[in-house]
Amino acid sequence: MKRQKWVSRGTAALMLWVPLLCASPLWAQAGTRLGLQTLGRGYWHVFAAYAIVWILILGWVISIVRRLRRVEERLSAE
Amino acid sequence: MSQTQTRWAVGILGTLGVATVIVLHWMVFFWVPTESTMGIVQRIFYIHVPAWWVAFLGFGLVGLCSAVYLWLGDERLDRAAVTGAEAGMVFTTIGLLTGPLWGRVAWGTWWAWEPRLTLALLLWFIYLGYFLVRRSTVNPEQGKRLAAVVGVIGVLDIPLIHVSVTWLRSLHPEAVILNAEAPMSLDGSMGATIGVGLLAFTFLFASLFLARYTVAGYEYQLTLRDAASGGTQGVGV
Repeated sequence: MKRQKWVSRGTAALMLWVPLLCASPLWAQAGTRLGLQTLGRGYWHVFAAYAIVWILILGWVISIVRRLRRVEERLSAE
Repeated sequence: MSQTQTRWAVGILGTLGVATVIVLHWMVFFWVPTESTMGIVQRIFYIHVPAWWVAFLGFGLVGLCSAVYLWLGDERLDRAAVTGAEAGMVFTTIGLLTGPLWGRVAWGTWWAWEPRLTLALLLWFIYLGYFLVRRSTVNPEQGKRLAAVVGVIGVLDIPLIHVSVTWLRSLHPEAVILNAEAPMSLDGSMGATIGVGLLAFTFLFASLFLARYTVAGYEYQLTLRDAASGGTQGVGV
């Protein structure tokens, strides 16, 4: 049985990079008084928090896909 | 649900999840105003709270499915429970990692051994124990039952986490969403953003839960085949 691909590598890369590229707090309210407020250089904290979220979720997605491929290969081989 | 239907459901829920996540990022970084006291770091709120919501949803499912599994002994409930536990661990890890990044700026410290944070960390360790107990017995059925007991006990920590900020002296702020005294005390745009965040994470959770549950079903089929043929190449869940 030929293995079906759920998402191509290009689509998966795009799904990862679009949220990460969007996660730039520098763009938020740029030029406004509130936008200039940093309060203890919190920028990298925000970026790190969003990066952690998507890296962990992506890691879980990859682990599910790898397990699915492995069991599908074994089921189709028998 | 057939294999094709499951794939469609995972795909639709996943697409809705990714779409709402993109909308969420636009709202967080281009639309919602900066909070006046904490500044830019408050934007962590829009992923921190949804992560905890789905973590509690996952562990809630573990408690429910484990309790019914102990009663009926249906394997599907055990698979749902282990899937919920895995999802809960992922999202609890997210909550435990994003919280300190926010707290470092807002409170001046990465971590404090105060009630809510300590109970949240305890929840993570309880469900780590769930997986350890599952794999620690020679008889897999016994491991599943013991893990189900841990799953039921662990879920009791969730209401404690919720009330810890009101019942005990806590550094963590009180709830702004599920607060009986001040329901939805957020600014309208912030409320809309957190609403989209909760929706996005719920879609992602539903999609990944269904995908992982399907894999657990295949793994169970393989284990049964191996057991029937006398093989030893079982796949544990």
